[in-house]
Amino acid sequence: MWDIIAVDISGRHRIKDGYYMVCAAAALKISASHIEKIKQVKIQPRWLQEAPRLVDIVQLIEDTVAQIEFKGTIVTEKGDMYNEPQWVPDSMFTLAFKYQESIGERRAIELAHHISLSTRNLLLTELNIEAGQ
Amino acid sequence: MNPEKQPGNGTKVILVKRDAPRSEGGRNANLFEELRELAKAAGYRSVGEVTQTRFPDRKYQLGRGKVEELAELVEITGVEKVIFYNKLSTTQIYNISELCRCRVIDKFQLILEIFAKRATTHRSKLQVELAKLKYELPRARAVVSILKKEEKPGFMGLGGYEDSYEQDLKKRITRIESELETAEKDDESLRVYRRRQGLSLISLAGYTNAGKSTLFNTLVDEESEAMNMLFTTLVPMTRALDLGGRKALLTDTVGFIEELPHWMVDAFKSTLDGIFLSDIILLVADVSEKPEIVHQKLATCHDTLWDRINGVPVITVLNKADRLDPEELETRLEQIKYLAPNPILVSAKNGTGIPELKAEIFRHLPPPGRPVPLPSPIRPKGCLPSPGSMRKASCTTWNTGKKFLWIMKQGPRSSAGPGIWSGTLRNEMPGGSRLRVSVSVEM
Repeated sequence: MWDIIAVDISGRHRIKDGYYMVCAAAALKISASHIEKIKQVKIQPRWLQEAPRLVDIVQLIEDTVAQIEFKGTIVTEKGDMYNEPQWVPDSMFTLAFKYQESIGERRAIELAHHISLSTRNLLLTELNIEAGQ
Repeated sequence: MNPEKQPGNGTKVILVKRDAPRSEGGRNANLFEELRELAKAAGYRSVGEVTQTRFPDRKYQLGRGKVEELAELVEITGVEKVIFYNKLSTTQIYNISELCRCRVIDKFQLILEIFAKRATTHRSKLQVELAKLKYELPRARAVVSILKKEEKPGFMGLGGYEDSYEQDLKKRITRIESELETAEKDDESLRVYRRRQGLSLISLAGYTNAGKSTLFNTLVDEESEAMNMLFTTLVPMTRALDLGGRKALLTDTVGFIEELPHWMVDAFKSTLDGIFLSDIILLVADVSEKPEIVHQKLATCHDTLWDRINGVPVITVLNKADRLDPEELETRLEQIKYLAPNPILVSAKNGTGIPELKAEIFRHLPPPGRPVPLPSPIRPKGCLPSPGSMRKASCTTWNTGKKFLWIMKQGPRSSAGPGIWSGTLRNEMPGGSRLRVSVSVEM
């Protein structure tokens, strides 16, 4: 069993006047092929006028993970880090970092993805912002 | 395999790979080694290798200077084909061919060549054709444009031809997909039937050349083709596996490879479903390889499997354990354990660890909760129909504890003999399955 913090960001495309992003971080205990326990989930919305750079993404993840009370390795999809080799984002995070590999990690990222996407949809609805504008 | 039968038999080739800047050198070397193995599996003889580290060039994939260098090498060595590791666009293939004056293919076309060579059944040939068509479809317009370049009378002058070629491809894809869909339905019916018979379905999955076929042969005492070559198995093979009281069916099938494109997964859907829809997956890995290679190959397998299996138990079979000493094995296991659910060390070659593997499979078998033929001891009195009439009664199967509704009627005496009754067992659950049975009735 391993302690990880699965992270996913939704909304990295421009709508209306900027980038409405939501980052979700879930602290979990996983095995190689399953999620064994979900310990905590935190979300962090962010608006950017310009397209997010790698440093912005790292900062957003750091801010979200800072709310989590449990320790663990940050796990993300490679695409979230602009497909950079692992050592590039790894050197930018304060916590241990890795890309998803096992089935357990992929399921954890899937969970974080559903949370970030539904939160963003809710926010856009509540703020009366129409996607695609 | 007879090398004379290989289509690429002895053809000289040059292997080319573009590495992304800042990518890991060791990993790039492993991927190039894989390209060498693929070329070997297709029957080619590599006489030169070219690599370059840079971002992709839109026209040539490599830089113009490097492609000119490649063209010189082609002229000196007299090769007939250049094989790129990287995915090439139609324009890139055309531009590189123009400079090198020889045929240019990428890794995916190379894999298709291997598959075409290995395809022996009607279905596998259809799957290979479908994969080729799906590969060709997005390139159809560009291919026609390039081929008719000099004839082009004006802007959009060949739109008609381009549409016609693309439409033709689409029609062929639809035809093959419809034929394969019928085969998938047959497979699904077969799976349902086998499960009704109480047989669990176990499949061997893993990176290509992990030793799946050798393990298959050891487990079921079979003599299927197993070689030290990529994609030896393309056509799935299923055999009965005795697990000490429970019968199961073990299927050996095609191996995975890194960056397997979605169109290839789609084309081989009916074959890969054999893995994805099984009750237990045996994920085979060659533990004797370097840790970073084992790690990379297991990660590729997890990537292929993760969203297609629904909570199916995975047992990681770490094959070729006889090649390492116990201390090395322990270290290796520690290095890869987070990618190895339920790991079991085996040597398919000398049979070490096979009893442990069978015990682990037995432990993960699904409970026999499906309708099974009723053995004679369960004939409680209330269940028996009266002769010549139809009667309903509820009874409980001895090994599942599930209740079934019996609808019994007398069967044909000529075929079944006196005292034998045929009937239908129906699961009480909504949409529950039915099972035809014959029960001996004491009159």
